[in-house]
Amino acid sequence: MIANSLGIMAPILIAGLGGLLSERAGVLNISLEGLMLTGAFAAIVVTAATGSVLLGVLTAAVAGALLALVFSIISIDFGSNIFITGLGINLLAAGGIPFISNQLFGTKGVLRFAEMPVLPRLDLTFEFRIPLVHDLLFGHHVGVYLGIVLTVLVWVALYRSSFGLRVRVVGVNPETLRLRGLSPERYKRIAIILSGIGAGLGGGLLALRLGVYLPNITSGRGWIALVTIYLGYRHPGGVLIAAFVFAFAETVSMAAQGVIALPNTVLLSLPYVLTVLAMVIYSAVRHSSARRVRYQR
Amino acid sequence: MNRTSPRGSVPAIALALAAAVAVTVVLLIAGSDTPVAAIRAFFFGPFSNTYYFGNMINGVTVLVLTGLGASLAFRAGVFNLGGEGQVYTAAVVTAVAANAAPQLSAAGGIAFALTAGVVAAGIMAGLSGLFRFLWDTDELITSFLIASASIPIIDYMIVGPLNDPASNLLTTPRVPEAFRLLRILPPSRLHIGILLALAAAAITFFLLFYTVRGYEWRLTGLNIAFARYGGINTGMYILFPMLISGALHGLAGAFHVLGTHHAALVGFSAGLGWNGLAVALIGRSHPLGVIPAALVFSYLQAGSRTAILHTEFTFELATIIQAVIFFIITAQHLPRILRRLRLKRDARA
Repeated sequence: MIANSLGIMAPILIAGLGGLLSERAGVLNISLEGLMLTGAFAAIVVTAATGSVLLGVLTAAVAGALLALVFSIISIDFGSNIFITGLGINLLAAGGIPFISNQLFGTKGVLRFAEMPVLPRLDLTFEFRIPLVHDLLFGHHVGVYLGIVLTVLVWVALYRSSFGLRVRVVGVNPETLRLRGLSPERYKRIAIILSGIGAGLGGGLLALRLGVYLPNITSGRGWIALVTIYLGYRHPGGVLIAAFVFAFAETVSMAAQGVIALPNTVLLSLPYVLTVLAMVIYSAVRHSSARRVRYQR
Repeated sequence: MNRTSPRGSVPAIALALAAAVAVTVVLLIAGSDTPVAAIRAFFFGPFSNTYYFGNMINGVTVLVLTGLGASLAFRAGVFNLGGEGQVYTAAVVTAVAANAAPQLSAAGGIAFALTAGVVAAGIMAGLSGLFRFLWDTDELITSFLIASASIPIIDYMIVGPLNDPASNLLTTPRVPEAFRLLRILPPSRLHIGILLALAAAAITFFLLFYTVRGYEWRLTGLNIAFARYGGINTGMYILFPMLISGALHGLAGAFHVLGTHHAALVGFSAGLGWNGLAVALIGRSHPLGVIPAALVFSYLQAGSRTAILHTEFTFELATIIQAVIFFIITAQHLPRILRRLRLKRDARA
């Protein structure tokens, strides 16, 4: 169950980490959903054409980056409202992908290719193994490991590099950076493109795990990724935990299908219910303990 | 979020609209096999008969109400991202309430069903306000999550227990005829809800800009620390904006059932919440700015619909056009960019 959760978590986590970078630069990127969808489409098309999963994943990242570049040009250079631009990018992906798909393959629907390589799993077999620990650490698809590595990388970038410091300053007060002779727009743009890479990667991994492109394959995962940023208190480690909580909730609701006599459609809402409950309880507990500290002083 | 100029400069908006029209024409020419017919259907289709025209104006009703809901939240500095679920929930609650009390008089039944829908959506959004008020839980996230959780449940109710066995559509039973709102422009679906929506915009404008509470509301949105320092009970301006934002979304959902479709269709609210936010932002979160923004938006949607119905124009192209118009319509640097281009051209000449 935990292994399954990790598999579900990876795309959300990677997209969330990307979104975190742009959020810290002061850009709420609500187009993660559209960027993920673009990555998913690009990954399947390129993997099917070249037979290489690696190329597929890389193309997903590039596709996400390009669309994010469009986002940055419209929001920064044209000065359009960030929220509306994000909505527009989502629409562009929702309309553009079926359009391109129709031109290339003559269908706006499911893209399934024969002899599609799947996402490799990391399997190490040791002579001596502790069953539970082994299952926890190995046998997941590469996206899970990538996600955890990226969490560390994003943490290092944000808190242990001058680049990260500047990104965080842009999010708090862009003028400070300008006074230092640096361009806040430049850091915003880089952060937005990085969020595109993250979301594109996440979408690509999501599709390659299934080995097929479906219309609306992301089905809200981009929005969930956005939620993990806030649920994780705008911190990479928090995003990791939040993405896992959500993935676990989804695994639980899938497992519950066999046990509880609830209709399938209602179970679709369970991950949201569990996440909002976790969030409300967490903030309530944090709030009351914060108050206790205040009274003691 | 830019809310500095409520009015925006008129030339800038005219320029944005002109650019939007130009881009739309280019896309229509590039993307359609019959460009002339597509352009005619897109731009003039909504005015070609009373049916299309009335439905376009009816679209304004929903957009004004959801746009107002979003604007009021923005004005208090809170976010209601759950509009879609609130509209959807209110629609089903309204349909159930109307069918549960057929013995009521027309006015009583309408009032009862409307109130039920409005209260349901108000509570839904109000919960997020309450959590923020009590424990500082981010209302932006909870409103979105609560709405996302509600959508599959409502889907299930319409398809399952509340389904109308007499209909082939996935819908609730139609509401009693006595409770249906008066249609203004038959055969279109335009109903008297539009007048109420416009009145709501006017009342909101007055309350927000000409009353003390409206002043406190806006001040809390502009600077919550300053507002608290000035002795304003800022907690109230977190709770009530969410409640009222939800209630306005609820009114949109209730009108959909009592006025437009006379039943709640499965999935009808898809995208409505986002459209409301877009209308609010295009209208600069101003209660009166929301009205022209909703008109433009509804015109675009109606144009796409007639172009899809009458030409080779596709749904995907309509979506792309909407995206491009989103980009242009709030572009603040557009005049400056055009000026720079002109300078460059002059320099070359």
